[in-house]
Amino acid sequence: MNLHAARVAGLALAIGIAAIGAVQAQDAVAAAKADLDKYTAIPTFEAPGEAFDAKACTAGQRIMQVPASSAVPFVSTIANGMAAIAKEIGIEYQIWENQGQPTQWVQGLEFGTSNKFDLIDLLAGADPRALVAQIKAARDAGAIVTASHLTGYEQEVPGGLTASIPINYKQAGKLIAQWAIVKSGGKANALVLVTNEVLSTDSMMAGIKEAFDAAPESKFTVVNVSIPDWATKIQSNVQSAVIADPTINYILPIYDGMNQFVVPALTITGASDRVKIATFNGTPFVLDMIQNGQVEMDVGENLDWIAYGMLDAQMRLLCGLPPVTDPKIPLLIFDANNAATAGTPAEVSKGYGDAYVAGYKALWKL
Amino acid sequence: MTETSAPSTVQRRQAWIDRGERYGLLVAWLAVIIVFGILRPTTFLSWMNFSTIFGSQAVLVVLTLGLIIPLTAGDYDLSIAGNLTLSAMTIAVLNVTMGWPLLAAIAAALVVGIAIGALNAFLVLYFRINSLIVTLGMGTFLHGITLWISGSNTISGVDFAIAQWVIVNRIFGIPLAFYYALILAAIIWYVLTYTAAGQRLLFVGRGREVARLSGIRVDQVRAVTFICSGILGAVAGVLSVGTLGATDPNSGLTYLLPAFAAAFLGATSITPGRFNPIGSVIAVYFLVTGITGLSILGISTFVQDLFYGGALVIAVVLSQLVRGRQERVA
Repeated sequence: MNLHAARVAGLALAIGIAAIGAVQAQDAVAAAKADLDKYTAIPTFEAPGEAFDAKACTAGQRIMQVPASSAVPFVSTIANGMAAIAKEIGIEYQIWENQGQPTQWVQGLEFGTSNKFDLIDLLAGADPRALVAQIKAARDAGAIVTASHLTGYEQEVPGGLTASIPINYKQAGKLIAQWAIVKSGGKANALVLVTNEVLSTDSMMAGIKEAFDAAPESKFTVVNVSIPDWATKIQSNVQSAVIADPTINYILPIYDGMNQFVVPALTITGASDRVKIATFNGTPFVLDMIQNGQVEMDVGENLDWIAYGMLDAQMRLLCGLPPVTDPKIPLLIFDANNAATAGTPAEVSKGYGDAYVAGYKALWKL
Repeated sequence: MTETSAPSTVQRRQAWIDRGERYGLLVAWLAVIIVFGILRPTTFLSWMNFSTIFGSQAVLVVLTLGLIIPLTAGDYDLSIAGNLTLSAMTIAVLNVTMGWPLLAAIAAALVVGIAIGALNAFLVLYFRINSLIVTLGMGTFLHGITLWISGSNTISGVDFAIAQWVIVNRIFGIPLAFYYALILAAIIWYVLTYTAAGQRLLFVGRGREVARLSGIRVDQVRAVTFICSGILGAVAGVLSVGTLGATDPNSGLTYLLPAFAAAFLGATSITPGRFNPIGSVIAVYFLVTGITGLSILGISTFVQDLFYGGALVIAVVLSQLVRGRQERVA
């Protein structure tokens, strides 16, 4: 009798735990969906700080910018955008054109220091951790030294910089993970492709982990491929992973430039119908891939908006205002429903609306 | 009795050493398959896995074949990866941006490859400059052109027919790209082994001055090798577009070192000491099989580099050891 009672109690407990698990999973899906919904509409402008007279307080100031690589369209588009806006305001703005070699970044910093630029900016990947001595020399000479579009909100300022102007990478990582969780009904089994040498990867991974921690029936594995190996290793690693684990249903390449090597891996393994792709950056060719049905979702960031946001933060430093810790640059989810708003073929910065242009001009009292 | 059996023992041993060297890489490949097959029998030994291994490396195989032709004549073509990238970008720009029909865009890419080969040949042979320097500069120059014509952008949306004829359509479950690479390897093997032109090429590679004194037009032979390399670089570009359905201005360049590794590794087998197409194909698939096995085991990607580099160095060292022993025996 006691044994029977124990069995009944055990069964009831097991059913109870399973029921709680199912409820938790459904809660996680609902919560993730609510988060995703916030990023599907065309974003509105939000001021990152108080208004200031940009033209007056930056008069006579000079900015030197060292982009990660002028040969990367993502980087050069932001750099050229910032230069055009700076010109409109009347700031002397010089870009140190380079091909991504650290020795060229060193040259750029030294040029900026010896030519007495007021602010030197490392843009979108020129790594301050490899330039500590040059950054110190520039700061000793009186320059403000910043890194833009490099770290997440929660990451510390690296390499002895005056300030780092962050991007919400953690949220971007969280969104691509939540997309996989929601679309798989709370049962995502994702392969996350990362590049650990890039600083923002840590921040994106923090967001991905947070999303998966909230979804008890979802899981992920991580494969790290360094940038020079993207062409030769991403495809083979994705192929092997998809064959080794037939339950994988999502690939999450955290930078969307990886996708051209992921798509053929799924085609060759015949897994295109089973395995979907969610990614981050909003690069035009990947938005085209959404329109072609090869990629399911891409969290986009407007490069022109980034240019305004980064320059806003830099001008605030030049004007002696408090550093910006959140430049309020929005993320927008592109999927099959709205990818065409970016153009066919897709164009840089298209599909996000243009509210920010008037917003920044009013903020800067132009 | 003793006098007659002693030499035959030495000869038998020598024959085994020869066989060991000729087929060592093939045996190593089988050993890798067996080891990973034991560790992951259901996934690694599946036909899907092997069809994926065979079907996804055609670009590297063709690029390696393109390298071994000038290498056989004693010349380097370091521009071949730049050629691949430019040819692939030519197809993407002409087809996607300018609306050319796919076949016309492919034909244009092949013409680009031939032109690059001819220009390399002209600079090396007319000005008597080392091929290493000319093709190094040419590769960088081609990368500049690629960045220029693409605006440094990745271009996707190439006519899907190219993907169908490269990786979508299959024979025995293996994408057609694999068979294209095999056909090219077979043609090169036949030419090198059974034709007078192939023999002249080998002769030039063994000693240019001796070849010249024997009446071979050495410059003509070397020029043809550069043009062949140019064509195969462009073919690799076509296969690259077909595999990716897109092309970017940078990633093709990363194939250069793996292709050289496969060429040198291939030269340690089948016809040891000589760059040969069959050895090169085996080398590519040996390396890729090892890397795929490590991926299936879920081992970090740095271990793949250890395998790649380690396998190359060990194979060349073993080959050298065998050759040293052969020389001592002789």
